[in-house]
Amino acid sequence: MREKLIEFRNVSFRYGEEEPWVLKDCSFSIYKDEWVAIIGHNGSGKSTIAKLMNGLLFPQEGEIYISGKIVNQETIWEVRKEVGMVFQNPDNQFVGTTVQDDVAFGMENRGIPREDMIKRIDTSLTAVGMNDYRLTEPHRLSGGQKQRVAIAGVLAISPRVLILDEATAMLDPKGRMEIMNTVSNVQEMNQISLITITHDLREVVQAERVIVMNEGVIWDEANPREIFAKKDKLREIGLDVPFIALLAEELKKKGISMKNEPLNHNELLEDLWTLHSTM
Amino acid sequence: MDITFNNVNYIYQENSPFAHKALENLSFHIPSGSFVAIVGHTGSGKSTLIQHLNGLIRPTKGEVRIGDYRLTHADKPKNLKELRSRVGVVFQYPEHQLFDETVEKDISFGPKNFGVMDREIRKRIQEVIPAVGLSEELLERSPFELSGGQMRRVAIAGVLAVKPEILVLDEPTAGLDPRGQKEIMEMFYSLHQEEQLTTVLVTHSMEDAVKYADQVIILNKGSKYMEGKPEDVFTQQEALNKVQLDVPEMIEFLYAFEQRFGKAIPFKRQSIEQLADQVYQSLKEAGVDE
Repeated sequence: MREKLIEFRNVSFRYGEEEPWVLKDCSFSIYKDEWVAIIGHNGSGKSTIAKLMNGLLFPQEGEIYISGKIVNQETIWEVRKEVGMVFQNPDNQFVGTTVQDDVAFGMENRGIPREDMIKRIDTSLTAVGMNDYRLTEPHRLSGGQKQRVAIAGVLAISPRVLILDEATAMLDPKGRMEIMNTVSNVQEMNQISLITITHDLREVVQAERVIVMNEGVIWDEANPREIFAKKDKLREIGLDVPFIALLAEELKKKGISMKNEPLNHNELLEDLWTLHSTM
Repeated sequence: MDITFNNVNYIYQENSPFAHKALENLSFHIPSGSFVAIVGHTGSGKSTLIQHLNGLIRPTKGEVRIGDYRLTHADKPKNLKELRSRVGVVFQYPEHQLFDETVEKDISFGPKNFGVMDREIRKRIQEVIPAVGLSEELLERSPFELSGGQMRRVAIAGVLAVKPEILVLDEPTAGLDPRGQKEIMEMFYSLHQEEQLTTVLVTHSMEDAVKYADQVIILNKGSKYMEGKPEDVFTQQEALNKVQLDVPEMIEFLYAFEQRFGKAIPFKRQSIEQLADQVYQSLKEAGVDE
């Protein structure tokens, strides 16, 4: 069995006693070194899950375990060493007066020695392609650049889990791709688990496992291929289906049936090629 | 109102060590009533460009014409306020600008500032609330109690209540879920048509640019890199990749299909259903039958 890094046991959460439940009896696990995408419409409870994972919020019912430790007021500082989080809006996350100060901030809080800190600033800024901007002030950076710095700041504390809560939503396609490449490299190199909360289907397709949230409950949990096979049902809960899956669906209506559920261009073309050459 | 840029340069903090050229020799023309998408990667000058459209900044060199209003380094229009009432800008994450106690007061703020009478404002609120897909029950609520998607709609309603002739949208769907994205874009598109607006959409979504725009302007390093109809611009994959832009996924597929099967299917903004039919026909010719 793979090591469980995060475990939700019958977790329910609401923002106030009069408020509706945002999460209802959610149970799931995230394993070591795994890449999990969490998708769902706005208000489905995705971001609440992220905030519960590092003790920004506490559940009214159920328990959350990080590396076997229960998350509560006493353990949050331990937990936050292990769970790094990057949010959607980079402007709310920048605290330093320069890029390198900002990356150093998280490490200072954790009492990392200076020597080590310098090394880590270098590695993490290189990883996000921002090393040339070390002395730049944040207001001179674009939104995308700020976000890369935020990711560097988290990487610098080498957490065991990196949560990206719609962290690429504000980036342009190139920036988005760079971040996703960076993040997946780091995930492999540092052996950390990755949780991406996203609407971007290309990010979802890259994940090993997908958790689909709908109205506060776990609607489904499977690999991307299995998830995107449920096209109509996904659309019913307000989610999108990748272009290739839609095209495959239309081709099927014409009588061209794919063997698999293709998720990218190559898979679809490969299937078409096989059909084409056997005829 | 037409929008014209004539050789516009914009330099942030000119004559200082921090001088930064954001726009360089930029010229283009947007005819009244058209829907234009402005595309470019982060830092290509898109945001600087749109700040010129309602006179928040003026060109360092060159001139900007919005209808009869003229902006140059030396001249600002005397009636800047009037220009701003005619050019509505929906900035990125407009919900961050909500501030008032109730949804109704927040929406009223813009038109009130431009001297619209209370009775007229109430009438406009009746119109914009359904237009943005909100219900009137929300009017008395605090905007801060609403969901993110609803807050964005309130902010957009505030811009629409001023009744602009030009609508400038800076990544209006960022951060929304797929359904929300589609609803918001469809809403802007029908407003564009019904109100005969001139719409300027800044976007990273090539899919939206292809779907809604009559004209696309691609910016790179503050200059115009390409301009034309979406089907002409987006089919130039190599040129776009050179400036780190993607092409819409359908075009990417058509390109890969041609590489693989040696058969070209032209891009004509077809639907996925039509595309499936073309792929089917194309393979059938090549010998696939059921």
